[in-house]
Amino acid sequence: MLGQSTRRLLGMGFLGQSRSQAIQVLPRFYHERVVDHYNNPRNVGSFDKNDPTVGTGLVGAPACGDVMKLQIKVDDKTGKIVDACFKTFGCGSAIASSSVATEWVKGKQMEEVLTIKNTEIAKHLSLPPVKLHCSMLAEDAIKAAVKNYEAKRAEAAPLEKAADA
Amino acid sequence: MASPSSTKLILLRRLSRALKLKPPSASIQRSSSSSSSLYLSSLPEASRLAHGYCLSICCRNFCSRPPHLNDESQGPVTIYNSVLLQEDEYHRLADTTIQDLLEKIEEYGDTVEIDGFDIEYGNQVLTLKLGSLGTYVLNKQTPNRQIWMSSPVSGPSRFDWDQSAQAWIYRRTKANLSEVLESELEQLCGQPIRLS
Repeated sequence: MLGQSTRRLLGMGFLGQSRSQAIQVLPRFYHERVVDHYNNPRNVGSFDKNDPTVGTGLVGAPACGDVMKLQIKVDDKTGKIVDACFKTFGCGSAIASSSVATEWVKGKQMEEVLTIKNTEIAKHLSLPPVKLHCSMLAEDAIKAAVKNYEAKRAEAAPLEKAADA
Repeated sequence: MASPSSTKLILLRRLSRALKLKPPSASIQRSSSSSSSLYLSSLPEASRLAHGYCLSICCRNFCSRPPHLNDESQGPVTIYNSVLLQEDEYHRLADTTIQDLLEKIEEYGDTVEIDGFDIEYGNQVLTLKLGSLGTYVLNKQTPNRQIWMSSPVSGPSRFDWDQSAQAWIYRRTKANLSEVLESELEQLCGQPIRLS
């Protein structure tokens, strides 16, 4: 029952329903999904960044308190993301956001993952207003990883043509 | 016989070792005059140890620059200053903006009938609660020289100071902080507000 009311409290900004006075007295908790991702993070790890099928997105800055590295492994022929991993330095919400991001990009086309919005991540994790920036950083990390993979492919393409000639 | 420049370097290394600081690199001669003079002034015993002969040599080559040197040698320093807002200037601008918003929104709150309206400013974070309509959080992000805003309408945004526009602009959407808040608050609360 407590879980129910905290979920409603944290979803306050997004659902826009009227609230009773009693709920506003409760302290805030991390949503259970955030706690789950923090305790059991999915896809933590690293790929070889020199691998031509790997795109690496590195966003944030230690001074700001959040750094996310998100890597995707792409199948060259189909353009599908076959694997993803992340490493994040930051708060629980940042870790959960990047963990969710790696879960969501797996098995999707590259063009499709570019449509993942920070609002979706934030809604999924019921992030409070002050933590919305973490979800935006996760969205930026996805975009940076895709951009890096495409840049690497563009660099490799003329070399492949020369090898074939 | 050691050359004057290597003598200086040796003296500086002795100074830094005495104070257990990182020794200066050989590139100190090429660094800007402002940074090298800061380095020397931060050594409290420098004046005692480097009294007279040593200090005068250090000052001649590291602290002072002949005034007739043209701007090219000052190039990198100038570019850095114009690209990145100076920290104290940033604090002044950001604090003024946030204070201004605080006052105007407080007044606005008195005129609109929003259940659960509350605005507070603590630890450099401005929190505006609009009851069931959502919560705004505005804070300074000093390392990036930005103002960060979290809005229940438009989500997170990061505003940089634009010198030419004299306003806080979100680069991705070219949105202006005051204008975004004006339109969103009017949309949420039903009454217009002037923030610029």
